[in-house]
Amino acid sequence: MDMELTGEQQLLVDAVETLGTRWQTMPPGHERDYAFYAADLQAALAEGGFLRAGLDMGMLEAGLVALEVSRLPVVTSIGASALVSAALLGDVFSGPVAIITSDWRKPQRLLPVAAYALVLRDDRALLLDMAGVTVEAVSSIYGYPYGRLAVEPDWSSARDLGEGSGALLQQWARVALACESAGAAQSAVRITVDHVKERFAFGRAIGSYQAVQHRLAQCYQISRGMRFLALHAAWSGDPVGADIAATYAQDHVNKLAFDLHQFSGGMGVTCEYQLHFFSYRLRALQAELGGADGAATAVYDRLWKTAA
Amino acid sequence: MEFAWTADQQAYRAHVRDALDELLPDNWGTHYAPQGYGSADQIAFSREFGPKLAERGLLVRHWPAEWGGESADPWEQFILAEEMKWRGEPRGPQYMNVNWLGPTLMKHGTPEQQQEHLGRIASGNVIWCQGYSEPGAGTDLAALQTRAEPKGNGYVVNGQKIWTSYSPFADFCFLLARTGSGRKDISIFLVPMDTPGIEVKPFPGLVGDGHLNEVFFTDVEVPGSARVGEEGKAWDIITYALSFERVGIPRYHVGRKLLDRAIAQLDREGRGNDPIIKARVGRIVAKFEAARLLTYVVVDQRAKGAPPSVDANVSRITASEACTDLTNFLMEYVPDCLADGDAILREFHRGNIAATIAAGTYELQLNMIARGALDLPRGN
Repeated sequence: MDMELTGEQQLLVDAVETLGTRWQTMPPGHERDYAFYAADLQAALAEGGFLRAGLDMGMLEAGLVALEVSRLPVVTSIGASALVSAALLGDVFSGPVAIITSDWRKPQRLLPVAAYALVLRDDRALLLDMAGVTVEAVSSIYGYPYGRLAVEPDWSSARDLGEGSGALLQQWARVALACESAGAAQSAVRITVDHVKERFAFGRAIGSYQAVQHRLAQCYQISRGMRFLALHAAWSGDPVGADIAATYAQDHVNKLAFDLHQFSGGMGVTCEYQLHFFSYRLRALQAELGGADGAATAVYDRLWKTAA
Repeated sequence: MEFAWTADQQAYRAHVRDALDELLPDNWGTHYAPQGYGSADQIAFSREFGPKLAERGLLVRHWPAEWGGESADPWEQFILAEEMKWRGEPRGPQYMNVNWLGPTLMKHGTPEQQQEHLGRIASGNVIWCQGYSEPGAGTDLAALQTRAEPKGNGYVVNGQKIWTSYSPFADFCFLLARTGSGRKDISIFLVPMDTPGIEVKPFPGLVGDGHLNEVFFTDVEVPGSARVGEEGKAWDIITYALSFERVGIPRYHVGRKLLDRAIAQLDREGRGNDPIIKARVGRIVAKFEAARLLTYVVVDQRAKGAPPSVDANVSRITASEACTDLTNFLMEYVPDCLADGDAILREFHRGNIAATIAAGTYELQLNMIARGALDLPRGN
């Protein structure tokens, strides 16, 4: 057991951070968007071999990459590419991947930009090539681009990933959302802490009030818990670890979203302040795969009902 | 980062489990464990059980060889603690001795103090109490009023401690007393509890047996050789000891076992498939697992010789929250445990009220995180 990054892992994280420097602020012209999909970052991650970290180094390292990339305000399909594709296909696509686990008629995260979709259908995972599939963009204030399939695809044309693939897709989608949530939470806490140190109210820094400090300390605690549970789930490949990481992450979004926006005050509802990129991304992830209730129920069923 | 246990660590865990299977009597789970480790029965049991652990090298294995250990990795100490907690902590109050008291004396005690006390702790039959809290000083420990006035080569102690778990049965007290006028002019003394002038008065309370006591010090003469560290300079030593105490008890580890008991009862009552219960329990498991990993962060730092960090506070509050969530769940879904139901669950409930207060309240931990991790400015 070693809870610190190894030298190799630190180099990997540093490399992701260096690569991400360009995208630490929104690109010109998109500063006031609700979300920005950074195709060039996705390409750079592919070119740099970062999407293959799970295949070349290990799934823990893939989790680290996903978490670090998710600290940026721009989005990619890092979780679906580096974690889910790697685990299900033993391969990754350089282009963006969407994950569809709800009714195909509903708006899906990343669908407008996806080259492929991994689809959960009747307990099996299907790999759908999005070439030729019509997607209608959906206007959304979540931190990702959303789209909807215009017509039901010909599922028989999709590649069936076989027996057990549906469960595997759910598992790794939960790991991915946990890693992405952990990265977003880390940045959201950082932005808010920076703000309350600089912003004064009633003659004092907002961050000097104990009422604020205590809740921010809890937000920090949550982000730490998210981080280690997500990375542990990536490392273990254990389905219950994925359910646990997703439960913890999704269960704590309400607290983060409320407190961090609360302490950011009026600034937090402007688009020039970056908090919404992370808080709305957390909101989007909070709802996936049945949310905290769905993941927590899965934890219970795996730990107690399977043994019965 | 590597989450796997090594083969040696896995073997050690199996070894501890086997030893406990062998050493614990058949009525441990039904008679002793439900009484809690401050009870007279469990303390008496621990005086017999400690030497058996010591004989097998399972009490202070993490201590240096010089003091009876094998310089084992701190991870082994935690594996041992997890397995002990899982069984209901048959070491009783002696967990304190080996977790923080001994290490504190190794670092700050005089050679004579080390000689006198470490061997006894390592032999497994000595009980200590900690003289910290007072009627007017709990979490704000520096507000303590008990005074140690110099007299000849020693001191005379007057004052009152409160809470003071295990004091009715303790052989020694790790006593904090004021030796100067400054707020942190505090010294530590190692005081035999049979010293004339010490009176212990247990009083009833909500926590488990043996925990709530008043200890009165009236003209108690303490030799200068009983002082740990320099006079009035104990604050750093206290901080060091408290950092061990905050993550000394692996409560996260017992959470799953308690949920097993609660769910077995709910199954018997035909309620084990309730979707609300499932979602609630899954959340509690997730928080316990977060507490486990955050505690491992602290253990890892200790294993690497790093100084105490704010991660101990993060670990502490996460474990406190998980235990509180579990307590709340028990009250809503297994309420008979407070009456004639499961005694182990009742003891957990009783102990948990204290867990969010002891070693500094939940709010104090948040203060320390706000400073140590977030660097937030102090208020007026």
